[in-house]
Amino acid sequence: MTRRRTQRSTDGAPTLIDCDIHQRWKDESEVIQYLPDQYKDRGLQAPEILYDNVAEFSRRDAIPDDGSNPGSDIPKMKDQHLDEFGVDYAILTGNSYLNLTALPNDDYAAELAVASNKWAIDRWLSEGGPFVGSLLAAPQKPKRMAEMIRNLGQHPRVVQVVMPMAAQLPYGHEYYWPMYEAAEEMGLPIALHPYTEGHGVTRPPTGAGYPRTYFEWHTLLGTYAMGQLVSLVAEGVLPSFPDLDFVVVEGGLSWVPHFLWRMDKDWKALRAQVPYLEKPPSEYVKDQVRFTTQPIEEPDDPQHLLQILEMMNASETVMFASDYPHWDTDSPLYAIPPMPEEMEAGVMAGNAQELYGLPDDPASLPAK
Amino acid sequence: MKKRFEVCPAAELPPGERTITDLNGISVGVFNVDGEYYALKNDCPHQRAPLCMGKVTGTTSVEHTGAINWEDNGHILRCPWHGWEFDIETGRSVFNPNKVRARSFETTVEPADEEPTESEADCSSIPDECDCGSSADEPPVATYDVTVEDEMVVVYL
Repeated sequence: MTRRRTQRSTDGAPTLIDCDIHQRWKDESEVIQYLPDQYKDRGLQAPEILYDNVAEFSRRDAIPDDGSNPGSDIPKMKDQHLDEFGVDYAILTGNSYLNLTALPNDDYAAELAVASNKWAIDRWLSEGGPFVGSLLAAPQKPKRMAEMIRNLGQHPRVVQVVMPMAAQLPYGHEYYWPMYEAAEEMGLPIALHPYTEGHGVTRPPTGAGYPRTYFEWHTLLGTYAMGQLVSLVAEGVLPSFPDLDFVVVEGGLSWVPHFLWRMDKDWKALRAQVPYLEKPPSEYVKDQVRFTTQPIEEPDDPQHLLQILEMMNASETVMFASDYPHWDTDSPLYAIPPMPEEMEAGVMAGNAQELYGLPDDPASLPAK
Repeated sequence: MKKRFEVCPAAELPPGERTITDLNGISVGVFNVDGEYYALKNDCPHQRAPLCMGKVTGTTSVEHTGAINWEDNGHILRCPWHGWEFDIETGRSVFNPNKVRARSFETTVEPADEEPTESEADCSSIPDECDCGSSADEPPVATYDVTVEDEMVVVYL
């Protein structure tokens, strides 16, 4: 095991790919201009988060000099994070308006998603450099989103689709399948990202219902991911779309071995309910689902986390993420436990490079 | 031997304010808490975030379930990443004060020195690393004196 190095690779393979960076607009008008005329007056409305975060939602040290939103200033992001740590690729996952996907007006929600994606392409992906990005999808409107995925997904720096972790129905439901068909066709993985749980038209934020605190909501992010994943497995999404990959972002990961073992055990007895599965459920997950590291668990003994990473075959299934510029950013240098060399190479860059099909040299990827 | 660094005139650092300065290659935050001056290394022992850029705030205690009190207002520094709370006076964390500590420095208010601060001061005794204390028996932090003389805020490290 070696001390982690983060340095930009210019002539070899990437050494650090950050799979969860939140870019933001300085002013809403940047995005509103992309909305259809009938929604321009309405602007960008989304349900506010229900819970108070005493640690503040964005990092104070990430506020640009002009006082604008953290994540809205490209030079600041490069100076403070991308160049500081030697990030070869920044996978942009959108900003906190993920909650637009919790709106009851499905048409407005879908057009908000389209507008914010057009903004992201024009404002950020056209920058080139380390930036590649995601198309936010509002799952209320699957056919419109499928059309959007086929259209905007042609941009060479669009590398995935992001759906909110919580929606009206579990994601295995056939209602959502038009989006999966489009994403598979375009070769784009689908990432699930938390924030919407309990908001708008989604389900309660925890299996126990509505807790009182951000502490409870944040601690249980992984459980919501479990609910979506078991649905994707049981309803046959993974076997039906064998070339489609999913990414669980910001759910932590130490629950994954438990989840896989539990599914495999139940499958032996209850297989008749899920005849879509032609092999143990854990194998679909290991083949088609990736997990990002942040917020990484921090046991007193880092070896315990390393054991869990081994149990979930992290060398091929786990990808580093920082969540910059949010309050629980993980440092590429200090957050991740010491790992064997091969696992570290996969987690810090290799798995993301393979999943997203990224060339060694970011400059060789067209920006338009 | 500790080196003396003049940070700024005391009048420029009123109660509730802070300044972050580089003292011989070490980023240090100097705080005025109710007229007293304190200095902490700008380096969180958790993941090495710029601790001193965090919010100066208070914290809570509880008398009984459902009755939460607000206390120590202005005495708590919250890391801008992850929100860990530290006592500005001691650098001790609130959640584990004996094991998880930010490095603190002695601070005073003293008259300005006729001689300029030595720029070549040797601060090599301050390791450029952080220890969250998970494996240490003793607190990993040495404390430093900070004073204000003739209205200069002075940090010793």
